[in-house]
Amino acid sequence: MFETKTLRSRILLQILLGLIVLPFVFPLIAMVQGSLAGSGWNNYRTVLSLPLLPGFFINSALLSAAVILIVLVCTTMAAFGFSKLHIRAKEVYFWMLMVALTLPGVVLIAPLFATITRIGAYNTLWSVILPVAALQIPFTVLLARNFVDGIPNELVEAARVDGANTIRTFRHVMMPLMKPIMAAVLVLVFINSWNEFLLALLFLQTPEQQTITLVPQFFVGQYNNDQTKVLAAAVLTGLPVVIAYIFLQRFFERGLAAGALK
Amino acid sequence: MVVSVGLLYYCIAYTGYISTLSWDGASPLQQPVGADNFTRMLQDPVFWRALGNTVAFFVVTLIVQVALGILLACLLHSQLYLRTLHKVLIFIPVVLATATTAPVFRQMYAPDGTVNGVLEVVGLGAFAQPWLSNGTAALIIIMSVQIWQSTGIVFVLYYAAIGQIDTEVLEAARLDGAGNLRIIGSIVWPGVRGTTIAIAILTAIGSLKTFDIPFLITGGGPSYATEFLGTMIYRVSVAFSQVGYGAAISVVLLVLAIGTAIIIRVSSTEREKADV
Repeated sequence: MFETKTLRSRILLQILLGLIVLPFVFPLIAMVQGSLAGSGWNNYRTVLSLPLLPGFFINSALLSAAVILIVLVCTTMAAFGFSKLHIRAKEVYFWMLMVALTLPGVVLIAPLFATITRIGAYNTLWSVILPVAALQIPFTVLLARNFVDGIPNELVEAARVDGANTIRTFRHVMMPLMKPIMAAVLVLVFINSWNEFLLALLFLQTPEQQTITLVPQFFVGQYNNDQTKVLAAAVLTGLPVVIAYIFLQRFFERGLAAGALK
Repeated sequence: MVVSVGLLYYCIAYTGYISTLSWDGASPLQQPVGADNFTRMLQDPVFWRALGNTVAFFVVTLIVQVALGILLACLLHSQLYLRTLHKVLIFIPVVLATATTAPVFRQMYAPDGTVNGVLEVVGLGAFAQPWLSNGTAALIIIMSVQIWQSTGIVFVLYYAAIGQIDTEVLEAARLDGAGNLRIIGSIVWPGVRGTTIAIAILTAIGSLKTFDIPFLITGGGPSYATEFLGTMIYRVSVAFSQVGYGAAISVVLLVLAIGTAIIIRVSSTEREKADV
């Protein structure tokens, strides 16, 4: 993009890049440094020896897995349907779904609270899984539909001519073609559901049910605002997503580039 | 066919169900008082403060994120060293939960925190202060955290969009003697317009939704200086248990969100027609 032929401009641009990235790294360094302050690695030992910690991790993993499953199934089918099937008034439904994109989670807390206590799901993981999945679906459908629109209709028609019904077309023609966008959706949904805070804070009351994002808050209460332990807990909760992102980075970018908002 | 369409409709119905809930769930509590909640809201200085903060937040974060996003995307499309490392570093804040990073920022800006420590070291100790107790400073900090957290997304979207610009056009422009700034202004900026509009909509909705960051870092204080619509709804309906009033603000928030999205969408398509 930029001219990098002369050494001078190259060095200047490299320095510029470094300077812009620096503020992004600074809080991360402060985080790790703060977590090692005081009693050093013992902070981590204290956090890790907390008997409830594995529970928090398992809850978060279950939550993310369930949300990912629901979102992936709904998104792939919805994208296929909106893009390739002839359904009456499908644009109206699509538009309705896009309106839901603007729905802020915080608007829903009062009605959701009423619904959840009525059906007795309060303080169970389901009370977080379903709303989180529902709130993600509009955006993932938008992304995936853009992607599926780019797949030629001829492929679907060819499958039909060969005698495949809709379900077979979906499974054997569309699913393999949709892999890149599914990877991007997976990463996006994993990040969002692992990081869900508001609904977990409201609907999960006992520590046995709570997720990893509530751990720093838990420590604030437990250790009387011992910052170093809070930060150690923060590093530990952040680690899985960072690792997941680094490994899936390439798929994520490729998928987004392919399905990107145009 | 039945299964796929059935599930499809289930998704739509479920989302539609949720979208109507914000009225249905609140109406039994609202009806007896009629429009009282709304008139109360219009007379509530905290509401106007929160609205003003939300708008300011939108304008500032959008401008900074777009500028940073485009600049970074262009830089990382150039032949520079350690590009993947930089990409990952910019994106890490996106994947970290606000709940995880909030304690870090609280610690950084605390009276005995990192920022004051750094000021002390470089000889500007006189400027050291309890940052989060200063209304304006706290608001700027909230904005900077949001920028820190979401520039990664903006960057990735621009990075993908710029990758689709024809390199021959760029080379031709360079042969004609266009400098770096000229290329950004005349080729990249118009080339990524669709992405910019999408980002504007996402940022507008995001600003209206802002909750985690102010809630976890400042809690809306000091004296409502960092109160946003999202935190106000939470405070009113959960802390004060005035669900009806909270729902009234929610309805306004929802109308604003849909309205903004439509306005941005319509004005951008009109511009498109004018361009042709």
